Amino acid sequence: MTVPDTMEGAYILSVIDFLLSFVIIWGMSLVLYIFPYLNKLGHLDDSKLRGGH
Amino acid sequence: MFQQILSLMVNIAEQTGLAQIWWGNIFMIFVGAILVYLALYRKYEPFLLLGIGFSCIVANVPGSDLTQPGGLFYYAYQGVELVIIPPLIFLGVGAMTDFGPMIANPSLMILGAAAHLGIFIALIGAKALGFTLAEAGAIGIIGGADGPMAIFVTMKLAPHLLPQIAVAAYSYMALMPLIQPPIMKLLTSPAERQIVMVQSRKVSRLEKICFPFVMAIIVNLLLPPVAPLITMLMLGNMLREVLLVDRLASTAANDLMNVITITLTVAVGSTMEADKFLNIKTLQIIVLGLIAFIGGTASGVICAKIMNWFSGGKINPLIGSAGIASVPIAARVSHVVGLQENPYNFLIMHAMGPNLAGVFGTAISGGIMLALIGVK
Repeated sequence: MTVPDTMEGAYILSVIDFLLSFVIIWGMSLVLYIFPYLNKLGHLDDSKLRGGH
Repeated sequence: MFQQILSLMVNIAEQTGLAQIWWGNIFMIFVGAILVYLALYRKYEPFLLLGIGFSCIVANVPGSDLTQPGGLFYYAYQGVELVIIPPLIFLGVGAMTDFGPMIANPSLMILGAAAHLGIFIALIGAKALGFTLAEAGAIGIIGGADGPMAIFVTMKLAPHLLPQIAVAAYSYMALMPLIQPPIMKLLTSPAERQIVMVQSRKVSRLEKICFPFVMAIIVNLLLPPVAPLITMLMLGNMLREVLLVDRLASTAANDLMNVITITLTVAVGSTMEADKFLNIKTLQIIVLGLIAFIGGTASGVICAKIMNWFSGGKINPLIGSAGIASVPIAARVSHVVGLQENPYNFLIMHAMGPNLAGVFGTAISGGIMLALIGVK
C-alpha cells in the first residue's frame, strides 16, 4: 500500500517520514554510543597500518 | 550570380544561433553570468557555480550542439540521468570526510533529523500548488541540502523536474552563507551564540574503521532505496580510514572528485535552457526550495535550543542549522556566525557532527519517501 496522491497523503507522508527519520537517526546514535567499547578489543597503530604491518 | 551569393549568405545566417535567439536565452545568459559573478567576486562555492554558470551561458547560445545527442554536455547529463554521478560523488565525499566528530558526539545526531522539517514544509506547499505527490516529494528533498541525494531522489520520483531541482539545490547550497545567518540570528540570543562547547573525545582508528562497515549494513538493511548512495559514501570513507590504500583514497577524494565535479556542474548548467527552464513551475520550485532551506535551518536551530535547555546551557544553538547537511558549507556557516559573536569560539568541529548526521538525515528522509510513494 502506498500513500494516496492527495493533500491528505502529503500530510501523512510528511508526518510518517519526519517521525521515522528521528527514530532511525536516534537508533544510529545509539549504535554510536557503543563505539567506545570497541577500544576494549584492541588498539590499531596508525604507523603500522600505513606501513602495511 | 549575385542572387546565388545572397541566398547562400542567408542560408549561412539561418544556420547560426543569431536567427534562433529569443529574450529567454538572453535572460538565462544573464542568470548564468550572475552565478559566475557570485563565484568570482563573492567567492560563493566557486567549484560549483563557475561550471554551472558557464554551461548555463553556453547552453543558451542557440546554434551549439553541445546539449544535443553527440555533444559533450549531453553526455555529461547522461551521467546524471543514469544516476552514475551521484554515487561517485558520495564515494569522493566519503574519502574526504572524517566522521570522527559525529562518532564522538552521537547525541548531536538528532539535529540531522530535526533540520529536515523544511523538506516537509516544501512538500506540503508543492502539493497545495497542484504538483503530484511524487513531484512534491522531489521538490521537498531540495530542503535536504544534499545535491547528489536531491538528484538521486528526483530521478526516481520526477525525472522531468531534474533541471529545476538540481539548479535550486546547488544554487541554494552555494548561497547558504547568505540564507542561513539571518535566520540563525533571529532565533538565538547573543548569549546563546557565545556558548563555548566542551571539546569532544578523541575517536580511535578502530572506531573510525568500524564506522563505515556498521553504517553500510544499517542503511542497506533499513533503507534499501537510498543504499547505493550511502554505501558508496561508506566505501570511500573505509578507503580513507584504513590508511593502507591511501592511493585509492586520494584518487577518490581528489582526481575522481574533480572530474565528477566538472561533469556534474556542466550537466546541471546545461539543463538550464530557456525553453525548458522559463516557466511558472520553475519559479514555484525555486521559491519552495528557498522555503525548504529556511524551514530546515529554523527547525535545526530550534531543536538545538531545546537540547541546550535540557543540557543546562552546554550546546550552542548555532550548530543546529548545520544539521541541514550540505557538508561542510552549513558547518562553516555555524562557525562563522559563532565567530562574529565571540572571536575565540571555534564551533566548526562541533557543527561537523550534526552536519554529517544531516547527510544521513537526508538519506533517511529520501529513503522513507521513496518507500511510502512506492518507488524502488
